[in-house]
Amino acid sequence: MKSFIIAWKDFKIRFTDRKGFFMMIFFPVILTAILGSALSGVMGETSLPKTTIGIVQTGNDPLAAVLIKDVLKGKDLKDIVSVKQVDSEKQLKTFLRDEKIDAGIVIPSNWSQDLQNGQLKQVKLLVDPGKELKGSIVNTILQSFVNRVVTVSTSTKTVITHSAQILSPNDLKGLTGQLINSLQKAANEPYKSVQNSTIGKRMVSGMQYYAAAMAAMFLLFNVLNGTKSFINERDTETLARLMSTPTRKLSILVGKFLGNLYFAIAQLGIFITVTSLLFKVNWGENLMQTILIGFCYAISVSGLAMLFAAFIKNEKTADTAGGLGIQIFSLLGGSMVPIMIFPKALQTVSNIAPNKWALSSFTEIMAGTTWSDLSLPITVLLTISILSITIGTWRLQVK
Amino acid sequence: MLEVSKVRKSFGKTEVVKGVTFSVERGEAFGLLGPNGAGKSTTISMICGLLPFNEGDITVDGYSVKNNPMEIKKRIGVVPQDIALYPTMSAMDNLLFWGKMYGLSRKNALNRAYEVLDIVGLRDRAKDKIETFSGGMKRRINIGAALMHRPQILIMDEPTVGIDPQSRNHILETVKQLNKEGMTIIYTSHYMEEVEFLCERIGIIDHGEVIAVGTKEDLINRLSGGTVIKMEIGHYNKSLVEELNTLPFVEKIVTKDDERELEIFVNSSHQALGELVSTAVKNNVEVSTIQVQEPNLETLFLQLTGRSLRD
Ligand SMILES: Nc1ncnc2c1ncn2[C@@H]1O[C@H](COP(=O)(O)OP(=O)(O)OP(=O)(O)O)[C@@H](O)[C@H]1O
Ligand SMILES: [Mg+2]
Repeated sequence: MKSFIIAWKDFKIRFTDRKGFFMMIFFPVILTAILGSALSGVMGETSLPKTTIGIVQTGNDPLAAVLIKDVLKGKDLKDIVSVKQVDSEKQLKTFLRDEKIDAGIVIPSNWSQDLQNGQLKQVKLLVDPGKELKGSIVNTILQSFVNRVVTVSTSTKTVITHSAQILSPNDLKGLTGQLINSLQKAANEPYKSVQNSTIGKRMVSGMQYYAAAMAAMFLLFNVLNGTKSFINERDTETLARLMSTPTRKLSILVGKFLGNLYFAIAQLGIFITVTSLLFKVNWGENLMQTILIGFCYAISVSGLAMLFAAFIKNEKTADTAGGLGIQIFSLLGGSMVPIMIFPKALQTVSNIAPNKWALSSFTEIMAGTTWSDLSLPITVLLTISILSITIGTWRLQVK
Repeated sequence: MLEVSKVRKSFGKTEVVKGVTFSVERGEAFGLLGPNGAGKSTTISMICGLLPFNEGDITVDGYSVKNNPMEIKKRIGVVPQDIALYPTMSAMDNLLFWGKMYGLSRKNALNRAYEVLDIVGLRDRAKDKIETFSGGMKRRINIGAALMHRPQILIMDEPTVGIDPQSRNHILETVKQLNKEGMTIIYTSHYMEEVEFLCERIGIIDHGEVIAVGTKEDLINRLSGGTVIKMEIGHYNKSLVEELNTLPFVEKIVTKDDERELEIFVNSSHQALGELVSTAVKNNVEVSTIQVQEPNLETLFLQLTGRSLRD
């Protein structure tokens, strides 16, 4: 009983906090708009001439693989573009001269190694001067791919690095300003000619993918906020006061956990509603599946908050460790760029990120999936929850 | 009502409460007077069951903190030394929350919150957030939160620290009134005046030990006729202080304020004034003022410890 009173108190504090509201509810929606629109787009009605592109790929860059496999050879472009792998730039020029190809692309080795810093190495584009239209099609496709990848990684990074430091309304203004800039940049894109790859049976659009990605990422912030709520209660003596009331320690812990859970659920609920209404994001046919995965994920982030609260002593450490942790996990879990572009080994590592399980389940539900396919992610999320709640409660109780 | 007996508490190797013993009767106002770091807050935390202790026992209404902490917690309202409220919640919501944590139903909590707001004189600010309150107003709500469940014992840990005289008076009057209505009060402070104003019985605590307990009169009678004479001198002179110390009626000398103010402890003030002044003159030290202080708890503390309550 007392637990619910504490939980409701925490929920109200978090929900009525302006900074928290912006951070947890406003930003994910805005980011989805930016990322989704940068990533999705409709091909023009006009029939485009068939174009053959020669590609020189040095090394084994993961991003290059995505460009070739999922974009150029992907569903949307396969009627227009055909791809020819070429061994060297010299050969590419010969092919171009002999009109065996219409345009050539040279991808440098380790193309995407600086992507975390928002940078991509230059790609060389060779065009037959006599085939201006075809050249500009290839140019557009390439440009828009590069832009969206860079936009995605920088804007995500901006939000994550700054979110921990928002203290005043001015900080908020600054961050919102930066986001709007990225948004404009994305909107000014002349052609948005690339659609995301398919996952599952139905196609998942870029907007859908990033809606799921942002949901997974921003719910992760509850780990940080929940931890800080614990620490804060300790620092402000309100915890001591709680303990001086006739309330058991366990009830207090459960209350703190539930408060975080309420917020995570509300956050996800609002996010799903708003993105469905505003951006017409389709979260899938089976709402029950979405709800169940969302619920399991919310429990695990609240549980993790408890675990961290048991080990982290002060708010500063929480902010630093949390900011970094969220960045790493967002990247690892595919919230920044789809994990398909990662090397295989890293994709395996990403299984430790709870947000990866939430994100992949959400997109699978969007594409249409069965309950039995969801049993693995549900098991993983619940295991994370149980482990962290048990260890966290145990550590906090003896303290 | 409350018995604290031979309680000891160590943090690591340092013992900060060294066998504290005192008792408080129902309806009484008991003051715990002591300087910074004396162990007041630690003692209170132990009474409230927040801090385990190494030895001794604490009982309230016959219930031991060790075995029945919940029974004790129900009977006590604690006003912590620091403001323990949620700053982004309104005064009303804070009171309701703490009331419910003490087991009040929603309806009872609501009714009581209005009463409490009247008691602390902040009814017109009920809907405002705590963070918009002045220090004094926060302190008043901090007290209010401890009154929600009509506790039998109200324990206050330096509730007037760092606030304006007006809020301070308001708080003191409020506590006095609560005591008149039958509430048992335990009040800690390092302000002698507050404790003297509120409390019938006073314990003086220093370095984790209760060095004297009794009514104000008891304690002052213990002063063995001692008085403090405050003497302000033109400049500090070491040989003067040494010579004063040799006078038979001088017990202790404490220098204050860039050493130009001497607090001289004497066991009788009859011939003292004259001799003190003439000793000063003999040492070519000019005396700007000299004044005999009424004996008070401050004097007693000085006599017992050689230090003053506040520096
Ligand atoms: N958690 C702790 N760990 C170690 N030492 C502590 C702890 N809490 C208090 N102390 C020490 O115990 C002693 C008594 O502290 P306490 O807070 O009880 O004093 P106080 O009488 O309330 O002083 P004040 O008037 O400054 O509030 C101090 O020397 C303090 O440093
Ligand atoms: Mg104290």
